[in-house]
Amino acid sequence: MSKTILTVDDSRTMRSMLLLALEGAGYRVIQAEDGVHGLEVLAESGGADVVITDINMPRMDGFGFIENVRANPAWDSTPVLVLTTESDADKKARARQAGATGWIVKPFDPAKLVDAVRRVAA
Amino acid sequence: MDTMEEIRATFFQECEELLAELEAKLLLLEAGADDGETINAVFRAVHSVKGGAGAFGLDALVRFAHVLETLLDELRAGRKPCDEPTVRTLLRAADVLADHVAAARGDGPEVDEGRSAALVAELETLTHGEGGAPADLAEAEEDDFGFQPVALEIPSLEDAPAAAGGAWRIVLRPHGRMYANANETALLLRELGRLGPISVELDDSGLPPLDALDPAENHLTWIIRLEAPVAEAAVREVFDFVEGDCDLSVEPADGPAAPLPPPPPTDDLDIAALLAAAQAGPEPAPEPAPAPAPAAPATDAAATQAALTATPPAAAAPATIRVDLERVDRLINVVGELVIQQAMLAQRVTESGLARSSGISVGLEDLELLTREIQDSVMAIRAQPVKSVFQRMPRLVREVAEQTGKRVRLVTDGEATEVDKTVVERLAEPITHMLRNAIDHGLETPEARIAAGKSPEGVVRLAALHRSGRIVIEISDDGCGINRERVRGIAVAKGLIAEDAALTEDEIDNLIFLPGFSTAETVSDISGRGVGMDVVRRSIQSLGGRISISSTPGRGSTFTLSLPLTLAVLDGMVVGAAEQTLVAPLSTIVESLTPKAGDLHYVGGRDAVIRFREAFVPVVDVAQTMGFRDTPVPAGQGVAVVVETESGARAALMVDAIHGQRQVVIKSLESNFRQVEGVAAATILGDGRVALILDVDALVANARRRPAPAELKLAS
Repeated sequence: MSKTILTVDDSRTMRSMLLLALEGAGYRVIQAEDGVHGLEVLAESGGADVVITDINMPRMDGFGFIENVRANPAWDSTPVLVLTTESDADKKARARQAGATGWIVKPFDPAKLVDAVRRVAA
Repeated sequence: MDTMEEIRATFFQECEELLAELEAKLLLLEAGADDGETINAVFRAVHSVKGGAGAFGLDALVRFAHVLETLLDELRAGRKPCDEPTVRTLLRAADVLADHVAAARGDGPEVDEGRSAALVAELETLTHGEGGAPADLAEAEEDDFGFQPVALEIPSLEDAPAAAGGAWRIVLRPHGRMYANANETALLLRELGRLGPISVELDDSGLPPLDALDPAENHLTWIIRLEAPVAEAAVREVFDFVEGDCDLSVEPADGPAAPLPPPPPTDDLDIAALLAAAQAGPEPAPEPAPAPAPAAPATDAAATQAALTATPPAAAAPATIRVDLERVDRLINVVGELVIQQAMLAQRVTESGLARSSGISVGLEDLELLTREIQDSVMAIRAQPVKSVFQRMPRLVREVAEQTGKRVRLVTDGEATEVDKTVVERLAEPITHMLRNAIDHGLETPEARIAAGKSPEGVVRLAALHRSGRIVIEISDDGCGINRERVRGIAVAKGLIAEDAALTEDEIDNLIFLPGFSTAETVSDISGRGVGMDVVRRSIQSLGGRISISSTPGRGSTFTLSLPLTLAVLDGMVVGAAEQTLVAPLSTIVESLTPKAGDLHYVGGRDAVIRFREAFVPVVDVAQTMGFRDTPVPAGQGVAVVVETESGARAALMVDAIHGQRQVVIKSLESNFRQVEGVAAATILGDGRVALILDVDALVANARRRPAPAELKLAS
């Protein structure tokens, strides 16, 4: 059974790229367009092995989304990777404080993305 | 790599939407919206453009988007005020961003570097305050995204790049926080194991007594020996995600017996007392420390559950799908054939003499209804809101306003009005031209407006609405209106009308559509461009539309365009002329009459005219003009179909008979044969024969070109 990855991003382009890279690496991919949608998809699909989320999104941003994931006992140990365009320590600290397991710096190359997923996936 | 190409196409599609969103939100800001969500949406749009552009290595686009994004971030955080000048700059920046996108896509002109650089400077001034960013800061920002960032920190590069003996000693003491973020020691060890063989020691000497144990904290320390001649950075990268959430030391391993960090002093445990307490107490003893390894059970459980339920991807079903336009066109073509085939079948059935009440006839009627419904539904697929054209206009208005020094507010209405895609695409140019015209010629300068007692800001209104099966576009301004004296003077000077021609106000206004007419005293950069209103009118006419103007001096002018909703079907009047079947577009027909021989008058002994509603209109014999026969319909026979051209000129088309009115599918003659004067297109009739659709304007113009007094107007 391949692992299920949930990606949460409001950009269609980014969703396509994530889908391409992750499916290419043999993962099963489910997608959502913002934080609220992400929580819905997570609930409907019974959880994911790894969650990848963008930060800047309408309705509920990435930080709010991670907070909600961590607040739910069913998902509080699900690894969450944050997509970030910045690689400075500030942004990383902020992501970690919000409960992120790790991060992926955009623009990512597919190998790096898959590597990051592999690192946090049990 | 096809998929990447597809994603690239997706990206540019998305860019279009993001740019539209960006502009819409900026306009909201300009109109005074001051909520955080609007500026957030603006930020997100730019951010997404930048993100995608980064993925495709579109550096120029990324650089510009970054500068814009930096300012927006300041505004979003409330560190800089989002005032009117800022929003105006943002609007212009959005325009340049759109240019960058177009250039990156490869179908736009090169970006005006000067303009782009000037805006970058302006944005940076707004971001960093007066004086702009210090040069080196700007440089630093460039570096920030010019290179592929590597997600690791290298605090001690001066250390030996690789451990002396090819081995590392790593001491790891995670904080509770690390586990709360779903990082796992076991996974970190697994990663280290990928670098080389590891041996792990667990130091549990830090464990407090059970009753003092905080289950959310960690008290264990791992000492790992890694046998791998790798750089320290590579070892530290394994811990990239957990830095700050653990105590970590990485140092070259000298020998097997490296000193451990001094274990915290621990009290001797009174096991017997502890056991007694545990047995006495009702509560079970908590697990000592969060289970370090093996991997988190919760994740496994989640995975198992996912496997069991095996729900398909639950992403919400999209409300729209994207379809290649070619497929839709093919469908429309086939439906067109279906309509024709259905009509042919109906004709055969009628010819076979079956009773109208027979099952076949009734079934056929139902089929006809269904066919009509399919046709309408298919047409609806191609229908698009005019919004895509309208939303390009604010930028144009801003630019023209800037060039002319006028203050303009654009008001749009009816953006959701739907019309066939082909029509939408071809609307952009005439609307652009008329808007330029409205601002350049229609609106006055702010000073002149104040002098005339108007608000200094002119209003241009662009509206779309449906009216009796056509789409109507109105472009109105509240400027000075048409100067009829001047228009008339120019028309006379250019020999377009006779000096003594008696023209109504409307007719004078419509003179501006005549070829070779241009009111601008100096051909300005804005409306000039060598294109007159006659070109606009021609392009509207080629869509089967008409254009007119009405004007009130001092109050402004209104251009009205009316267009068919689709270019694929046409309501037509089927007529016969010299054994040929022809179709006249219903929209051009005013009236049909059967003239008696005495109703026809001859001017100069040969050009027939007919009296129609207090005026004489020229008679055009269709069969003769088209070359079907040499002589006109004998006087007293035939039917006169009075038509009105786009320019308002009337003529009577003489035909042998009228067969009826029906909707026909338009087949282009040019793409199947070649252009024929007087013929707009062709269609296929129910009996399978090809019928030509008349180009009424050309027929009438052709008839008028003959040396004859053009219009004979009765004093009415």
